[in-house]
Amino acid sequence: MSRRPHVRVLIAASAVVAVFIGSSVEAHMGTGLAGGFGSGFRHPLTGGDHLLAMVSVGLWGAFLGQPLIFVLPVIFPAVMVAGAVMGMLGVTLPPVEIGIALSVIVLGGCIALSLKAPTWVASLIVATFAIFHGYAHGKELPSAADPIGYSLGFVLATGSLHALGIGIGFLNHRPRGVHVTRGLGALITGTGIWFLYKALVL
Amino acid sequence: MRGGALPPALLCAAVGLALAFAPRRAWMPSLVTLTVTTAVLAALPIPTEWLEGVFLGCWASVAATAVTVHLPRGMTPSGAAGLSFNAGLWSGAEIALAGSRLDIVKAVACVLLLIPAAFVANRRAPIIVKVVASWLVAVAILAAALPFLPVTPGYLPDHMD
Repeated sequence: MSRRPHVRVLIAASAVVAVFIGSSVEAHMGTGLAGGFGSGFRHPLTGGDHLLAMVSVGLWGAFLGQPLIFVLPVIFPAVMVAGAVMGMLGVTLPPVEIGIALSVIVLGGCIALSLKAPTWVASLIVATFAIFHGYAHGKELPSAADPIGYSLGFVLATGSLHALGIGIGFLNHRPRGVHVTRGLGALITGTGIWFLYKALVL
Repeated sequence: MRGGALPPALLCAAVGLALAFAPRRAWMPSLVTLTVTTAVLAALPIPTEWLEGVFLGCWASVAATAVTVHLPRGMTPSGAAGLSFNAGLWSGAEIALAGSRLDIVKAVACVLLLIPAAFVANRRAPIIVKVVASWLVAVAILAAALPFLPVTPGYLPDHMD
């Protein structure tokens, strides 16, 4: 039992390391996809913007408690699919990279401020950003490869990142744990501002 | 590539999640129904023209089956048997058209997701099973929509380029 806090700190530290070693917006770069489950699973994990937003959904849910700790991870993939279909249909959206960067900023900000939003507001925020993330993935779904395996991979990876965020949220139950998680939220927001700068200027 | 064991495997996995919310006495009849129906349908000569309809039915069944985890009063034994029969129909038909006999084993084995799902659901954490079910719903909707959409070819640059 005494080791549990260390394990949680290790999980949190791993997440932070993963955040910094993941190159920014790499999840949405490149030309074409090899296809298949592995490709879909790696896709959200290899880019900082998607990774941070997904972890933030879980972490914010942990701040909000029941029922949102689990409602948000249910809402996200459902709406993300709608966004993916919009992407495949070629529906015009505001610049997706800006939307994704904003999702990182807003979700990180909600964590940093420990914002206790009402259920419908939190659901609306997460659903709105899920459209942008789904749109980005939908645009990239390969036609020649294995789109179903790819879909399965990226949905599972996205869900795993939510679970990671919820896991980091357990730090809130430790002394000064809230300070750590809120600090992570501030760090996420700062990274999101960098993503936004890149999307707008670079 | 969209045939083979994957669609029926996900359908059987959805049945496993749904059965986690059914009474234990419903498990065995449902598993037998699923296995027998899948095996029988897989052996039948299904017209190849039905392929698109079978895929659509399979994915619609995945979504519908996974959604049943949200039933407020859980799954009744007759409902469980009905879901298993429906899953067997679509799984067997898909395997008959786009799979091999080995795919029957691969697919039906996925219903054993029932065991960890029931373990979790009975320990006051049914919401975890519901989250996993929502992932299945997402994949199923996406897979069902794919044939109707102009998919971006993999060799084209994406939105960052």
